[in-house]
Amino acid sequence: MSLAKWTVGLMAGMSMLAIAAQADAGEVRVTVAEYSAKTAPYFADVKKEFEAANPGISVKFEVVPWDVLLQKLTTDITAGTNADLSIIGTRWLIDFVQQDVAEPLDGYIKPDFKDRFIDTFLSPSIMDGKTYGLPIAASARAMYYNKELFEKAGIAKPPATWTELQEDARKIKALGSGTFGFGLQGKEIETDVYYYYAMWSQGTEILNKDGTSGLSTPGALEAAKLYKSMIDEGLTEPGVTSNNREDVQNLFKQGKVGMMITAPFLSNQIKDEAPNLKYGVAAIPAGPTGARGTYGVTDSIIMFKNSKNKDEAWKLLDFLFTTEQRAKFTQGEGFLPVNKEEAKMDYYVNNADLAAFTALLPDARFAPVIPGWEEVAQITSDAMQKIYLGGDPEAGLKDAAAKANTVLKK
Amino acid sequence: MQNRFLPYLLTLPSLFLAAVVIFWPVWDLIQISTHEVSRFGQLRDFNDFANFAALAADPDFTAALWRTGQWTVMVVGGALLLSIPVAMILNTDFYGRGIARVIIMLPWAVSLTMTAVVWRWALSGESGMLNSALIGLGLIDHNIQWLASAETAFPMQVLIGILVTVPFTTTIFLGGLSSIPDDLYEAAALEGATPLQQFREITFPLLKPFINIAIVLNTIYVFNSFPIIWVMTQGGPANSTDILVTHLYKLAFRIGKLGEASAVSLVMFAILLVFTMIYVRLAMREQRT
Repeated sequence: MSLAKWTVGLMAGMSMLAIAAQADAGEVRVTVAEYSAKTAPYFADVKKEFEAANPGISVKFEVVPWDVLLQKLTTDITAGTNADLSIIGTRWLIDFVQQDVAEPLDGYIKPDFKDRFIDTFLSPSIMDGKTYGLPIAASARAMYYNKELFEKAGIAKPPATWTELQEDARKIKALGSGTFGFGLQGKEIETDVYYYYAMWSQGTEILNKDGTSGLSTPGALEAAKLYKSMIDEGLTEPGVTSNNREDVQNLFKQGKVGMMITAPFLSNQIKDEAPNLKYGVAAIPAGPTGARGTYGVTDSIIMFKNSKNKDEAWKLLDFLFTTEQRAKFTQGEGFLPVNKEEAKMDYYVNNADLAAFTALLPDARFAPVIPGWEEVAQITSDAMQKIYLGGDPEAGLKDAAAKANTVLKK
Repeated sequence: MQNRFLPYLLTLPSLFLAAVVIFWPVWDLIQISTHEVSRFGQLRDFNDFANFAALAADPDFTAALWRTGQWTVMVVGGALLLSIPVAMILNTDFYGRGIARVIIMLPWAVSLTMTAVVWRWALSGESGMLNSALIGLGLIDHNIQWLASAETAFPMQVLIGILVTVPFTTTIFLGGLSSIPDDLYEAAALEGATPLQQFREITFPLLKPFINIAIVLNTIYVFNSFPIIWVMTQGGPANSTDILVTHLYKLAFRIGKLGEASAVSLVMFAILLVFTMIYVRLAMREQRT
């Protein structure tokens, strides 16, 4: 390339930069998590519809895989190049609020806007009386069971308690031919949560009332012993610590697993990938006292304090949370409705799978709103993996509780 | 006079580039690692090397440090041992040599992450290719849960690490072998040297500089290699396959301890720097004598 061409190229590049800078004025940048293959097309449609309805505002969606979302946000915020809006896990919100990067939205929220939301899902995004995020995605967990395996094993209905679950798992195991009673997740994201299902049914919470870790309570030990005994007895799939949530879901789709606990999106996946699988959705089993708990999760969309286009960004939020847009997104991704009007739609009312999830919502626990929560979750997952691999539950939990408590004290 | 400054003047641009690309991030790391730092990287007060103290007290860090040593030695050593014969075979003239060379090089062309993803599937306990192949061959009678525990997962990761390091190493050795003149071998053969003697007295000594460069470069790559371990086990179960990079990633982006993560990063940088300096020194001294 000759020098002249270089110069031309350089100048072209600089003029493009200049144009880009100008376009910034009315541009709203949004970082969104990629929940499934349907996420990017959905937001591409939003861009088209919103820009057509709001001339002068352009929208740019950056679709990021879930696994690297927090990493991207961390680096973007550190460098000061973050977008105007971003989807975040609501459990991260406290960090964003404490570091003063999230803008309170109360100035924009009118009573009728607030009234669109189901309170259970909006409340995790409220901190110190201020609303810092809007729940863009909500989910809970329930138990999926394979009706065909249940029928073959002579089980009439899904188990109501963990004791029944163990018995059912034994019957399914007795069928042989590579079938496993209970799918137990032991790797990667939510390994700790899979343990909490058993722990909550013992009446133990993640945090004791005094704010210390619940892992050293007798209930936590019972729960760990329950899972360990099921592994030892061969009631779970083999190699628990090599199976993440997707791996267990795949075993379920292949009809190899009798029961597993997971999110509503598995129904959508089964519809697409294993339409002939006969399955049902039931409540998470209860413990001896009848206690039970499911995991409630919301993701929030937040506005950054350093955004230069806050009014435009709010217009986009308002658009995203209209009933029509919500229904399109939620149904595509297989989440639960966060919008009251939306929840009344036939799609949700007549859907037996989703009904099982919404019925569990009164028992839903959200991740505790504490700084350092991710570290406590990591400590718990590590402890569970050690126990699943054959470690002593009592020593493992004690050690984990001590580690968690040092984090919680900070 | 002018001539004396000219070399410095000429190296100035590359020095400037190196400063921007290398020194500036390192300086930044030093800043972050010696200060209290917020979740999003804002610097607070200088904290008396508390981040380094926290590392020293963390058994996961020391375990990862030790494992990184094992990982690097095994992968680099394995790749070297495998690459020398492979390169020697590929250097001989035989029918289909071009295809053979392409096949050896192919793993290099595939992204490391994709290779790791494919192996993760292949090593899956219930539906993995490796288990069904081994059962089909009658070598095992029940599925092995390869990635469920470090005892099986880590050796497999080392093997895959070797597999992906071989192409690059072989390329270096092929270059080295082609620089050895054929008449040396002809003369040796005339004198009655056996192939083994030829290897020991001609090939190996003349290949030595290339082996040295392969050791240095591979050590740096492998020591810092992230995708294989991350994709297959994320350093788990219970941190039992963590090496320093995966440990660092978890510290920084899972838990948000940017200060400690930067400290790990500096420790890694220091280890590699010291290793490279010592090794290059030794190798050069050897060559001079």
